[in-house]
Amino acid sequence: MFETEALIIGGGVTGTGVMRDLALRGIHCVLIDRRDLNAGASGGNHGLLHSGGRYAVGDPDTAAECRREGDILKAVAPECIDACGGLFVAVQGDDPEYAARFLEHCRSAGIECTAITPAEARELEPCLSEKLFAAYTVPDATIDPFRITLENVNHAQQLTQSIFLAHTELERFIVDGGTIRSAVCRDTRTGETTTIHARQVVNAAGAWAMRVARLAGCSGVNLLYSKGTLIISNARIGQRVINRLRRPGDGDILVPGGTVSLLGTTSQTVQNLDDIHPTVAEVDDLVAEGIAMVPQVAHTRFIRAFSGVRPLLMAAGADADGRKASRGFSLFDHESEGLANFATVAGGKLTTFRLMAEKTGDLVARRLGNSQPCRTETTPLPSGDAVRWTEPGFAPRYWVARRQPGDLILCECEMVPASAIDSIVENAPGAQLQVSLNAIAVRSRVGKGTCQGAFCSLRVTSHLYDRQVYDSPVGLRHTRDFVAQRFKGVAPVAWGEHLPQLELAEALHCGLLGLDRLADDGGQFPPTAVQDP
Amino acid sequence: METTSQAATRTIDFKAAARDLLPPGASYDACLSCGLCSAGCPASGLEGMDPRRFIRMAMLDMNEELSTTPWIWTCTQCQRCKYICPMSIDVSVLVGLARSAWPTEKKPRGIVRSCEAQLRFPGTSAMGLQEQDFVDAVEEGVASVRGQNDRFARLEAPIDKQGAYFFVNQNSREPATEPEEMGPLWKIFDYVGADWTYSSTGWAAENFCMFAGDDQAWRKMVEQRVDAVNRLGCKVWLNTECGHSFYTLWKGVERFGLKADFEAGSLVSYYARWIREGRLPVNAEWNTQGIKFTVQDPCQLVRKSLGDTMADDIRFVARTLVGDSNFVDMAPSRSANYCCGGGGGFLQAGMKELRYAYGKRKFDQIATTQADYVLTPCHNCHSQIEDLGQHFHGGYRVVHFWTLICLSLGILGADERKYLGPDLARLGL
Repeated sequence: MFETEALIIGGGVTGTGVMRDLALRGIHCVLIDRRDLNAGASGGNHGLLHSGGRYAVGDPDTAAECRREGDILKAVAPECIDACGGLFVAVQGDDPEYAARFLEHCRSAGIECTAITPAEARELEPCLSEKLFAAYTVPDATIDPFRITLENVNHAQQLTQSIFLAHTELERFIVDGGTIRSAVCRDTRTGETTTIHARQVVNAAGAWAMRVARLAGCSGVNLLYSKGTLIISNARIGQRVINRLRRPGDGDILVPGGTVSLLGTTSQTVQNLDDIHPTVAEVDDLVAEGIAMVPQVAHTRFIRAFSGVRPLLMAAGADADGRKASRGFSLFDHESEGLANFATVAGGKLTTFRLMAEKTGDLVARRLGNSQPCRTETTPLPSGDAVRWTEPGFAPRYWVARRQPGDLILCECEMVPASAIDSIVENAPGAQLQVSLNAIAVRSRVGKGTCQGAFCSLRVTSHLYDRQVYDSPVGLRHTRDFVAQRFKGVAPVAWGEHLPQLELAEALHCGLLGLDRLADDGGQFPPTAVQDP
Repeated sequence: METTSQAATRTIDFKAAARDLLPPGASYDACLSCGLCSAGCPASGLEGMDPRRFIRMAMLDMNEELSTTPWIWTCTQCQRCKYICPMSIDVSVLVGLARSAWPTEKKPRGIVRSCEAQLRFPGTSAMGLQEQDFVDAVEEGVASVRGQNDRFARLEAPIDKQGAYFFVNQNSREPATEPEEMGPLWKIFDYVGADWTYSSTGWAAENFCMFAGDDQAWRKMVEQRVDAVNRLGCKVWLNTECGHSFYTLWKGVERFGLKADFEAGSLVSYYARWIREGRLPVNAEWNTQGIKFTVQDPCQLVRKSLGDTMADDIRFVARTLVGDSNFVDMAPSRSANYCCGGGGGFLQAGMKELRYAYGKRKFDQIATTQADYVLTPCHNCHSQIEDLGQHFHGGYRVVHFWTLICLSLGILGADERKYLGPDLARLGL
């Protein structure tokens, strides 16, 4: 049982943003997620910190909001951001008029934008197509959505001893006299039930916000689910964010993610939030579109595909098209639905999460009688030992600089050493007792490199058994769950140079270890498999 | 592709270089991260590096670190990584590139000095031997062999003989420090009636310019040697019991697009051929004590050049010479054998402890065979394996093929037994 001032539901960037916003006002929070941090759209996106350029023509309000929020985040969380800059490029076949209007629209949204010649653009980014006819520079940047989430939680824990509970699913609210008194939750691993008493409840469940609202008896939150798929290249392509200069469509943004690049997205309206995974057809579509901007996409090795669901706000009578729906957000106070201490924040974008958290924080603080102002606009986000391992390229630089060969590298692709795993297990938010490999992957680069978990899964598992973090068959089941999760992302890109990788992983995981035959309940497989070496 | 980050140190874009220099499908992008390369690389763990880590650091854009790691001087460019890699990725190519980007004054002095010495005189000797020194050493040697035995009273070691069938090169070590080691080879040529010649220019059988990462000097070296063979009109450039001199020449001809009017041959292949043809009637009858032998496959000759065909010839000659039951192979062997750690300029680089750490794997391989002798047709292997034996207290000896051939034929002189132990010091005299 937990007592808190504010219960926040949803461990994405919004929920953790609200958690930190409230903690900065001195408010204690409990944050729950039915899976883990960034399990939804916060972990299934480009990591793009929009300059606003993408929305300059069609949605000027969102564009201006992106610009302002981008500037704030660059100032308060520089360690999470690569201010790599961006280009908008139009290629033969794109609408010249749309391209021509771009500059003017950026100016009216206050976005710093400069026209350059196609030749200049190709000099900046030699990977660009020769069929370019227009190009503009904008201050796009990239953001590490995992790190910012971890830092949000970490900071909130430090400020008010706020708590994050992973794999904790909301089952029902106990409502009394127009007030939610408590939330009954279930640990999805153990099945145990916990009750959380809270004075205020914030629904920041992203794509699941509509479900959560309905559990509170509120029907005013209506979302359109837009599934988006992205693919990740084995190595970084280009230095800047490269956007296709046309009305937003599929496969028109290529974003560097440190040492890799992400090409996306697709947009497909879906009805069901369960079993969201990338398909071969989506990957084909992305590659075909990506080639138009960056021809080398045709022979680039892609190592994984993944999908997220954008929770888009649906205004009454709106067109059910994900591309046309607003990227803006709404804060519902639910007072007209008879609840005095419930709020839902929905819609929005990764780039604008801080603003969403601020508005939500204002409402919750006011309701709690707390008069502290929002501080997230100016307070730098503190980093920490356990929350820095998601940055691509950090672990190898750390390891090389530290010169301690005894600190064994467990993940060779991303060069993640044992000390990083230890630091995560000991101190990373939400990586509590008997951490899973999936949880480590959310908090590091483990499994994100070329081998996609083929080797690091086994090495990290062995390390955790050695350290007695695992002492039962549960550890191996975590390994199995992790590689099964990775497989979903690898399968749709299994061609060319990446196909042997998949075969190798299968040989190791199924042929050698028989992970596919592992029983779900304890002790059913040969005990030798889990003895300490 | 390359930028200057500080005076004279170039930072290479390794990812881009791999894409440019390696074949499609076998570039760093194709790496499965499986680590077979690292498991089979004796340089793994030195300087915190291994081949897979080299590839991964390139893919992670750690160009500064790769441009400055001293590991590239512990990698002997033996290509064991490429051989075992399921995608055939060759790490040694970018190691060579990294070597080339080091400022000369920071490169290991010994390697640079050896290359500089080669450039100094037309003989191309890494020990700085001048033309006249070489000619004198050969003439003195010939006089001594002729005096040994009536059988060799008319033995010749021609120099600059126009139109000879074989152009034979010569490692500088013998004329410079152990001239009596040249005799056995001359006797073998005399025995089979080979039409051969040395040359007063381009005669040396070593090439440290490739290991120094100096492409221009490597090219110049190969040009001088190719010119010398072309000029004498020889049909076969016959490479002595040496590994890298073979690889650097034929690879250099290909790399620099040179015109060579001859074919490249390895001495051990000819030993095998002459034995098969009955012209070199060697056998193992002398080995009544059951002395055990193993062979080291020189990487430059076997894996990097002629492959298992060469390894088979080496074994055929060795087995014939020592007897099947006295031959113990190493594991792994042939193209999969490990580098001894003497190549790549390692012996000259002055990094002794690292070289021993590298060579430990070779030492263990040899120790497992329990052989009394290691036969190897390579001077670098020879020196390194001998040094490893002393350092790790091995108790084995290292011997050239020509020594055993002459021993078997009963024509090995008393002063030609430097590398034999007491067990064979007097045999057949």
